[in-house]
Amino acid sequence: MNYNWRRRDFLKKTSAASIAAMAAGAPISAFLNSCSPKEQITSTADTVILLYMAGGMAHTETFDPKKYTPFRKGMESKEVLSTFKAVPTILEGINFSEGLEKIGQVMDKGSLIRSYVAADLGHILHTRHQYNWHTCYEPPQSVAVPHMGSWMAKELGSVNPVIPAFINIGQRFTVGEGEELKAFHSAGFLGSEYGPFLIPDPTSGLDSVRPPVGMSTKRFEARNQLYENLLKESAMGEFGSDYQKESLKRSMEQAYRLLNSPEAKAFDLSLEPKEKYDIYNTGKFGLGCLMAKRLVDQGARFISVTSEYEPFKGWDTHENGHTRLTDMKKQIDAPIAQLIKDLDESGKLDRTIVILASEFSRDMLTEGRPGAKVKDQVEVPDIIEDLKNYGMHRHFTDGCSMLMFGGGIKKGHVYGKTADERPCKSIEKPIKIAAIHQTIYHALGIDPETNFEIEKRPFYTTPDGHGEAEMDLFA
Amino acid sequence: MNMMNKDNLLIFCGIFFSLVLGVSTEVNAIGTVLLFQAEEVETSFWLWKFFGRLHPLAVHFPVSFLLFAALLELFTLRDFNHKLRPGITVLVWAGAIGAIVAVVLGLLLSNLEDYGGNMLGIHQWTGIGTALLGLFLIYLLGKTKSNQNPQAIKVFRVTLLVTALAVSVAGHFGASLTHGEEYLTETLPWYEPEFSPEDLNIDLVAFETEGDLSEQKQIELVGKVRAVFAHNCYKCHSVAKTKAELRLDTKEFFFAGGESGAVIVPGNSGKSDLVRRIKLPKDHKESMPSKGKVLSNDEIALISFWVDKGAPWPAAAEDVSVYRVAELAPRRPDLPASKNGLNQPIDIWVDAYFEEEGIEWKDPIEDKVYLRRIYLDLIGLQPSTEEYDTFIKDSRPDKRAIWARELLDRDDDYATHWMTFWNDALRNDFTGTGYITNGRYAITDWLYTSLRDNKPYDQFVKQLLNPDEKSKGFIEGIRWRGDVNASQVTEMQAAQNVGQVILGLNLKCASCHDSFVSDWKLKEAYAFANIFSDSTLVVSRCDIPTGETAGTKILWEELGEIDSTANRAEKLEQLANYLVQPANGRLYRTIANRVWKQLMGRGLVEPADEMDNIPWSQDLLDWLATDFEDEGYDLKELIYKIAISKAYQQPAVGVENPLFLADDDFVFEGTVVRRMTAEQFSDGVSQKIHPIFSEEEMKYDPNQLTVSEQSDIGFVRAALVANNGLLKALGRTNREVVQTSRDSQASLLQALELTNGEQLNNTLKTGAIKWKEKYEAGDIIVHEVYRQLLGRDPHQSEFNIAMAVLGEEPEPEAIQDLFWAVLLLPEFQLIY
Repeated sequence: MNYNWRRRDFLKKTSAASIAAMAAGAPISAFLNSCSPKEQITSTADTVILLYMAGGMAHTETFDPKKYTPFRKGMESKEVLSTFKAVPTILEGINFSEGLEKIGQVMDKGSLIRSYVAADLGHILHTRHQYNWHTCYEPPQSVAVPHMGSWMAKELGSVNPVIPAFINIGQRFTVGEGEELKAFHSAGFLGSEYGPFLIPDPTSGLDSVRPPVGMSTKRFEARNQLYENLLKESAMGEFGSDYQKESLKRSMEQAYRLLNSPEAKAFDLSLEPKEKYDIYNTGKFGLGCLMAKRLVDQGARFISVTSEYEPFKGWDTHENGHTRLTDMKKQIDAPIAQLIKDLDESGKLDRTIVILASEFSRDMLTEGRPGAKVKDQVEVPDIIEDLKNYGMHRHFTDGCSMLMFGGGIKKGHVYGKTADERPCKSIEKPIKIAAIHQTIYHALGIDPETNFEIEKRPFYTTPDGHGEAEMDLFA
Repeated sequence: MNMMNKDNLLIFCGIFFSLVLGVSTEVNAIGTVLLFQAEEVETSFWLWKFFGRLHPLAVHFPVSFLLFAALLELFTLRDFNHKLRPGITVLVWAGAIGAIVAVVLGLLLSNLEDYGGNMLGIHQWTGIGTALLGLFLIYLLGKTKSNQNPQAIKVFRVTLLVTALAVSVAGHFGASLTHGEEYLTETLPWYEPEFSPEDLNIDLVAFETEGDLSEQKQIELVGKVRAVFAHNCYKCHSVAKTKAELRLDTKEFFFAGGESGAVIVPGNSGKSDLVRRIKLPKDHKESMPSKGKVLSNDEIALISFWVDKGAPWPAAAEDVSVYRVAELAPRRPDLPASKNGLNQPIDIWVDAYFEEEGIEWKDPIEDKVYLRRIYLDLIGLQPSTEEYDTFIKDSRPDKRAIWARELLDRDDDYATHWMTFWNDALRNDFTGTGYITNGRYAITDWLYTSLRDNKPYDQFVKQLLNPDEKSKGFIEGIRWRGDVNASQVTEMQAAQNVGQVILGLNLKCASCHDSFVSDWKLKEAYAFANIFSDSTLVVSRCDIPTGETAGTKILWEELGEIDSTANRAEKLEQLANYLVQPANGRLYRTIANRVWKQLMGRGLVEPADEMDNIPWSQDLLDWLATDFEDEGYDLKELIYKIAISKAYQQPAVGVENPLFLADDDFVFEGTVVRRMTAEQFSDGVSQKIHPIFSEEEMKYDPNQLTVSEQSDIGFVRAALVANNGLLKALGRTNREVVQTSRDSQASLLQALELTNGEQLNNTLKTGAIKWKEKYEAGDIIVHEVYRQLLGRDPHQSEFNIAMAVLGEEPEPEAIQDLFWAVLLLPEFQLIY
């Protein structure tokens, strides 16, 4: 019959690649209109760990200390540069802020970037800048744009097919601006298949990958058997082969495989030796690092561990900047250093790129950046009488620090520089988000031209494909 | 061995000259390739690449040597020990070694560079075969020498001929890889391109005239050519992105060429680089388009033809659109006479379509399937077992129509179900980005009431476009704190969203720069956006202000003129009035197509947001739109007519490859099997097993508006709660951008949520305890689960499987597990 012929003709036209993609379980949107790049880049990494310092981590108080200006009542706020002493790192002539000694000791395994410049988005809202950091696009967009982890999931899939490709650890969405956070913790137009697997709290991460609470493994297996038996008997043969039906079956099999797999133990932190656990256990963030380490061992692709964003908490210091940071540094110093060491010892660091970043920095006085100051959100007195006013309380976009380790990144390298006097802005090799993204994609072997056609418009991994991988960061 | 006699010298001279000729052409080719490569990132060790690229040069040796050896062998047929023998021996040795070298280099080349595909496979294996045959020949040489037996000589000769043949085949495919498949054949006088104009959709015959084309013909022709450029090349070669300094979007740039000069030679497609490159196989480095699909044979033929005709591009061609633009005005096609006992106009149109496509009507679906389908499609719920029974027993001949009507009359259930679709499309939600900074307004009240009261669609649109406080959320958009891209200011959001949702039109490209996927220009987008603005927006191109303004205009001036001096409220009123006029056929085709898609799974036009695309039945689309007008823009009536049509009652079609749904060649045969939405699935669980959501979770309570008896269905429907983990996993969007369809494919994250998600599990657990109290015995529960969830009794085999788990006195846990297993069956999850 005529229509049969047409359909055959259609199937013939469909490229072998897309048929293969279907067989591999990709959702429709994944290969509809997708453009496959031509150039093959040799990857230097298989896995990404993003350690995200949500809330705006002041560079002058962490990885780029300036002159120490100790607290005294009646000091002028404009004289405050760093509220901590500088301490040496393993790299000669490079100091970190007090409290980051341990990370300082692993800097021979990675690069320190001191010149990240965040976007100008006007009046500052953390979640907009976080959206920009994670998607590379400035909100709002007329289509839902994907998180970097989703691009990775789509382009590369999981290293181990049992483990979800994109895992996000440590962020709850029930906090203030939770809705805004959801907007970029998403695969957007790439399709939900590539969305993040969310572990809001690493201490209960195991619950996400084991049978429902209260269900024994035996019962869980029996339940699955029941499903499969009934599936065989069900009158679904009626409508022949159908992708909907097939994808349902396949995804159920995948889920069962994960929940029943030995790899799921990666999520079980109690299996870690106590001494190791204790080193990491500085709170949720530290344990997130531990889980990330375990997930790398089992073959995840993109793991994001975030020091949870909640307005006015964590790194979001609108007051008490100095005292709060003492605490924050305690949370991150030991686990991050240990993560790098552990990955290095197991040899995984060679093919794992670890990135530490924040949406922007903070400063005592400047809101936004010099020359593009935006509306102040924090009252800063000219004369500081109270310790609570001592710290970096305004949002600063013109000089931020980042760290990168492993996965082909130079070791013991310092990239870029900020001024020693206020405004402590980037004065050498300023680098922006598109270049950062392309650098990470490059490490993973993802072509800079990778794009996805949505509503007839090509969307690249970075806006219009801009930004070039910074080869100076690669060994 | 004295082989340098006179004859052999001659042989070597011949070989030498042919090699020089061949090699020098290749050196040229290699030069070009290297030049072309220069800008690209080299990642493999350069020396291997260098060796690899010597392959095209090296292959000339085995080709020449072996062919010559075979040729000379012919002269020695009478006397094997002819004086040419030593020469042949050397040729065979040289050819065999050359073949091995060529194979090694070839493997390097193919592995280091972007070659691939069938042709490479053939070339590679024939090449390797040649090398192996060469080795075998050397072995045979030894045989013929040691004992001059005729058998060995015969074998040697046959092998040599086969080798010569193999090397020719390998050489041919190698050349096709490098130069293109038709490099050789196309020069033959009797060559016929494999695409002959007669087969084309693009009717070239119309242009096949002696001598010059008329200007009119020239305009038509270049218009078609530019459409091909626009859809395939503009992405990299136009104002927005200009690779290799080549722009194809205007005449001047086109003829100026790119960084390596002119891309065509008017009058000679054979010498035109552009034509050469679009003809190259996709695997080839220089093939164009380098990304995405290659051009079809039709398109290649068209461009070659146009170039051969001298690439005419009359100035007047600028005014002719290269994109298909759908008619704006409504059209009332004459309904054909009723045939085959069909009397519904929808069916008469579909019948005409079926006849054209050679499709037979199938028997309508059985009662049970029909009832489930209309319940899910019209009110989002499933029939109860009693409703199934009553319906099946109902003996009235028009019972399907009666029940469909009754369902649509369940105003609250209908409204709650359709809220899901409209919330997605109008990006309305209870929670979400923007609300926290007071930058967004919900329209839930207005939307629910409008649906419940079945507000005529023209009024519905008018109130969205010219809103009061309750309906302003759609055009107010999301106002972020801080700066946003010029193409995302709220006025432009309004222009884009009204365009997409209400008019089936993509203005997103044009709100940043002149579109290259349609004729819409930047200024037109701004002129439209100005209607939604208090002031006049300054036009920004790619986020850079141009300092210009664009006036205030509706997209189609024939619909009316907006007074640019009026204030915003007045402008919006004018806009609303102009857009809803019957003359705006596009508005009504868009909604008719959307409703059709909701019920049938695939629009008459796809994507439903691109109404300039060709419908599979223009007549049916036009009829639906004008009938909608005649019926007073009554959405329920439109739904009703589709739901009672024979077309809707055809068995559902399972689609093997989802790409088929988006393809131009889609053939309608009936509704497409669909996945339930997150809301339909959750409501199914709530309705049949136990409510998933508590009263406290309800974000919007319709009963607060007016207490309605019939809306009390005993559980909180998923459309009325905030988005959550379960709904999100099942595909409810976060409604930050407008979305008119959902990702319907199952995914791992979804399956995980269904398998161990807390919300579903707790619901099933509580439900199991309740069921145990209510039904007690295992066999009753198995029957009830099947009857209530799937609308049928279990087959004996199913009953046995379930009973083996439940037993006569089932534990609630066993009941819970049975719920779960049945809920996850495609039979429950799909709408068929």
